[in-house]
Amino acid sequence: MSAIDFLLIILQMFLVLGLSPLIVGVIRRVKAHMQCRHGANVFQPYSDLAKLFRKEPVISTTASWIFPATPYILFSSTLAASLLVPTIIAPMPLNFAGNIIALVYLLALGTFFLMLAGLDSGSAFGGMGSSREAIVASLTEPALILSLFAVALTAGSANISAIVYKTAILQGIVLDPPPHLMALVALFIITLAETGRVPVDNPATHLELTMIHEAMILEYSGRYLALVEWAAGMKLMIFLTLLVNIFAPWGIATTLSPSALGLGVLVFVGKVVGLAVVIGVFECMFAKLRLFRVTELLGAAFILSLLALVFFYILRV
Amino acid sequence: MPTLPVNIGSYLVNLCSALLLLTCFAIVAQRRLMACVDLFALQSGFLAVTATLVAYLTGIHHIYLAAILTIAIKAIILPRILKKIVRQLNVQREVSMYVNIPTGLLICGGLVILAFFITQPIVHLGFLLTQDSLAIALAIVLIGFFIMVSRQKAVTQVIGFLVMENGLFLAATAAAYGMPLMVELGIFFDVLVAGLIVGIYTHQIQETFGSVDTSRMKALKE
Amino acid sequence: MTTILFLALLLAYACGMLLPLCFPSRPHIQNVIAHGSASVACSLGIALGLIGLLASEPLVWFWSSSIPLLTFSLRLDSLSAFFVLTISLVGLAVSVFASGYVQEFYGRIPVSLLGFLYNGFLLSMLLVVTADNAFFFLIVWELMSLLSYFLVVSEHEKPDVRFAGLFYLIMTHVGTAFILVTFLMFYQETGSFAFEAFRSADQALPEGLRTLVFWTALIGFGTKAGIVPLHVWLPYAHPAAPSHVSALMSGVMIKTAIYGLLRVYFDFLGGPFPWWWGFVVLLVGTVSALLGVMYALMEHDLKSLLAFHSVENIGIILLGIGTGMVFYAYDMPHLAALGIIAGLYHTINHAVFKALLFMGAGSLLYATHTRNMEEYGGLLRRMPWTGLFFLIGAVSISALPPTNGFVSEWLVFQGLFLSLELPSLFLKLMLPIAAALLALTGALALACFVKAFGISFLALPRSPHARKAQEVPVPMRVGMGILAGLCLVLGLAPAVVVPLLDRVSEPFAGISIAGRMFEMGGWTLAPVSGEFSSLSTPVLAIILVGLTGLGWGLAYVLGGKGKTRFYKTWGCGLNVTARMEYTATGFVQPIKRVFSTIYQPTVKLETEFLEESHYFAKQRHFEFSIEPIFLKYLYHPILKFFSTLADRSRVIQGGNLSLYLAYIFVTLVVLLVVMG
Repeated sequence: MSAIDFLLIILQMFLVLGLSPLIVGVIRRVKAHMQCRHGANVFQPYSDLAKLFRKEPVISTTASWIFPATPYILFSSTLAASLLVPTIIAPMPLNFAGNIIALVYLLALGTFFLMLAGLDSGSAFGGMGSSREAIVASLTEPALILSLFAVALTAGSANISAIVYKTAILQGIVLDPPPHLMALVALFIITLAETGRVPVDNPATHLELTMIHEAMILEYSGRYLALVEWAAGMKLMIFLTLLVNIFAPWGIATTLSPSALGLGVLVFVGKVVGLAVVIGVFECMFAKLRLFRVTELLGAAFILSLLALVFFYILRV
Repeated sequence: MPTLPVNIGSYLVNLCSALLLLTCFAIVAQRRLMACVDLFALQSGFLAVTATLVAYLTGIHHIYLAAILTIAIKAIILPRILKKIVRQLNVQREVSMYVNIPTGLLICGGLVILAFFITQPIVHLGFLLTQDSLAIALAIVLIGFFIMVSRQKAVTQVIGFLVMENGLFLAATAAAYGMPLMVELGIFFDVLVAGLIVGIYTHQIQETFGSVDTSRMKALKE
Repeated sequence: MTTILFLALLLAYACGMLLPLCFPSRPHIQNVIAHGSASVACSLGIALGLIGLLASEPLVWFWSSSIPLLTFSLRLDSLSAFFVLTISLVGLAVSVFASGYVQEFYGRIPVSLLGFLYNGFLLSMLLVVTADNAFFFLIVWELMSLLSYFLVVSEHEKPDVRFAGLFYLIMTHVGTAFILVTFLMFYQETGSFAFEAFRSADQALPEGLRTLVFWTALIGFGTKAGIVPLHVWLPYAHPAAPSHVSALMSGVMIKTAIYGLLRVYFDFLGGPFPWWWGFVVLLVGTVSALLGVMYALMEHDLKSLLAFHSVENIGIILLGIGTGMVFYAYDMPHLAALGIIAGLYHTINHAVFKALLFMGAGSLLYATHTRNMEEYGGLLRRMPWTGLFFLIGAVSISALPPTNGFVSEWLVFQGLFLSLELPSLFLKLMLPIAAALLALTGALALACFVKAFGISFLALPRSPHARKAQEVPVPMRVGMGILAGLCLVLGLAPAVVVPLLDRVSEPFAGISIAGRMFEMGGWTLAPVSGEFSSLSTPVLAIILVGLTGLGWGLAYVLGGKGKTRFYKTWGCGLNVTARMEYTATGFVQPIKRVFSTIYQPTVKLETEFLEESHYFAKQRHFEFSIEPIFLKYLYHPILKFFSTLADRSRVIQGGNLSLYLAYIFVTLVVLLVVMG
């Protein structure tokens, strides 16, 4: 691996780290606007993180070492997953380290420990959050893998970088609308479910009837909470990146020239922020679904990814 | 002759057929009757677009007429009638179904695969442009039938029937580049009349049983 | 050299079996000798396995006997060597563990007997995977079944253990009957019981017979492997045995069935076979994986939960092998080898982590004397080592990177995804669906192990047993530690493991693909081509560790050193007690509800109200059970049929001696007529 590759990895890491709170801020701001509130500055999440890092954390006396270890594991596994997804340049230098399966399972590693941490404090809220997360995660994972595979087929590769690269330079069977369309809708639903957005979970509430992710992390405070929140932001960013770069990668740098990279950064930030706005608007248009109705939504996502596959094989012109 | 390359043209036809199929799934996944009607209207709209595309690409002009009629009857008039019925009957949503929604979706997914395998031997006989749409059309017919079977409210059953009709129309357009004009006109007239009759019929059921739940009609046995 | 090694191994097992019997009523000495010799024998087995894997020619031993048709012929080719290696690796760790665990039984069960059976069981498994003669194979197979049966019923004073043992005995004999039929069909065609003859007869078998062999082998070996719907005995028998034996049964005994399947399908039948064979195996694998994990989720007895997970993992192994068979049928040797390698990789991985988890469950049983998860809780603080090892096992079985379970499941996924190379449209669609169901299985397994670890080890102790629990003795910890280390090694070093597995698959697929599986000097696993997909667990592990450091550094830089306050959990104004915690039942409630079609749950809630008012309940009784659909719709009807049949046939039992003599006479006459 050359020095440039290494620099690119560092650049991508800081991009993800630096941009993810902004995405969260944008979505909050859009929601506030839609609800006729003034809303906080889009840079508010940065201040929140800085504040949380400085606060004294409280750890339950019931908890074991799993509880304080989880934020670090979650942070590192999510950030590692983000390094597999090309943001401003394709192919990514870390392309070789893992394909779509590795991405999904790296994210699952974080979820696994987060669910454990939810149970660790002994509070019923945490257990409830873990239990709900278990069912949502179980139902999204097959749909996620199938939808990513359907897209992988059109590119003839299961490496994310290769998919993005081939779509960006219009190589292979990328110009096949039905599979892409279906996979896009499926992946959008999955994004909402995986990142705890409105029809599935409500990130802005602490009501025990509705919360999933918030219930799991209820006992966290201080720097642990900061890491968990940051990781949640990065996960959101990973899914937004997948959506924009798999289905509309145009603008991403495919060569190593400074101008291409610069353009890549600009286009990427523009696209991700744009999609964040869409998600914010989308969240305001729907009410949160009852937990047992979420299965219908996720079932639909699964069927859509299945159809994407069917269409790929059968609609050969 | 069409200026659009045939290749791009068939992509577009495929895309539209795919959208048609997607709306079918949306109807299966939808409980609210009003939304079902809206989705049906949307589906008819896509159907009209498909027909227009085929007409444009093949240069067969009477398909344009069919497209216009589709818009008029299936996307505007019939949905209005249905909505009126829904409003009059005051049934907003399908409360109980014979098959729950995720299972229903899975079954429909299976139906699509089945449709593709059934049509596989015959697509090679069809025209190059729209051969894949035939499978989708069959899938839509099957899903329409499934909607009729799995739902209890008369209105959704009617929608199932209309979805089937949409599928048949797509099949006609796809496999044969449209039927003779007279046949098409006849079918549209039939559909319209069917819509009206069904409107009256549901009204009668409502008056007799106090509900449009067709499962109550079991009571007629005695 | 190898012969000496092999004889030494036999000697060590013989010592382990017989020497303890010379020290009556000295349980500690018996224990040390039995498990010490087993450890030595297993170490020798590891060496033998490695030699066998690396040898270019199969090693053969041969002793003829005076019994017709029976020869004690053993053959150690790469497939056998792989299984010898797996059995011995797990056997070594389990033997070390057992030397601590067996102390539990001092005074209750004769340790010498336990040691005799234990060593015999290990030896019989080794002979099963090395036997080179059908007759001899059947004898050692039966021996393995019987010895494991005796081990299952070691605690025979408990009625449910006796039931489990009987159930196991019946099912395993049904399986053996099918295997017997399989071999008899070969015998009929080749006139010999030697495997060598079966092997060379690959084309001699007529098409119909080949199909029949496919089915009988699938049913026969499938019963032992625990494929759905033949799995019903497994969740009873495996938990009933002492934990170290459960570890062996679940970890390696069921793998002998995988060995049998591979041997019969690829080695004996060989040649091109129809694609639907592979499809049937895939289907069985998918169904087993999914149903196994689903029933495991509902199980709150830790050992039963693990037993159901064995059904799941056998399913995953079969998914790998089934993919291999499909590709083999279409004459795509590279991909066939990939499928077989994935299956074998998961075989050794499952052996390692399942044995580890069963030992963990054994440790919990040792410390708390209960198997019910709802009575555990808070054990991580009391048993930190056991907890850590169990966690590693749980992470591995949930297939999370960078552990071994992840690598093999990843390979299985690649095999399923590469279905895009297949000519058949049907399979092109079905294999990705199997992949999606595998993903569902993986996610449910993850949920299940969050439950198993979270409820058992975290939060507050839920019973006095758990409160008084103490860390287990050192040998038990060492046993678990060996396998926990192996979980990580097998995950991080596919570059070492895959070339070894390639030697196993090479004779079957007819091609060696190890050279094409790696890129970047062995750092990256890239089946077929890095263009399609690649994985590098070492790099992922380095990144994970590095980024954890980064997270820690960030927290330090942005937040300063800071100090942490410890305080009790907020319980809405009350003190949090174990009764407020989420239970295992509660944890899986949403899953139970979503998949109620499969579980067919029955919930009974009886409320007794106060006499004064119907708004206040005096006490409530809640009961819930799930319907094992296969027992209800498959086994019960069969049982009913046979008991009716038995009732009917009672007529011939007249009780009169002359009547019985008449039966014999008639039979004799009929036979004479028929034979004459």
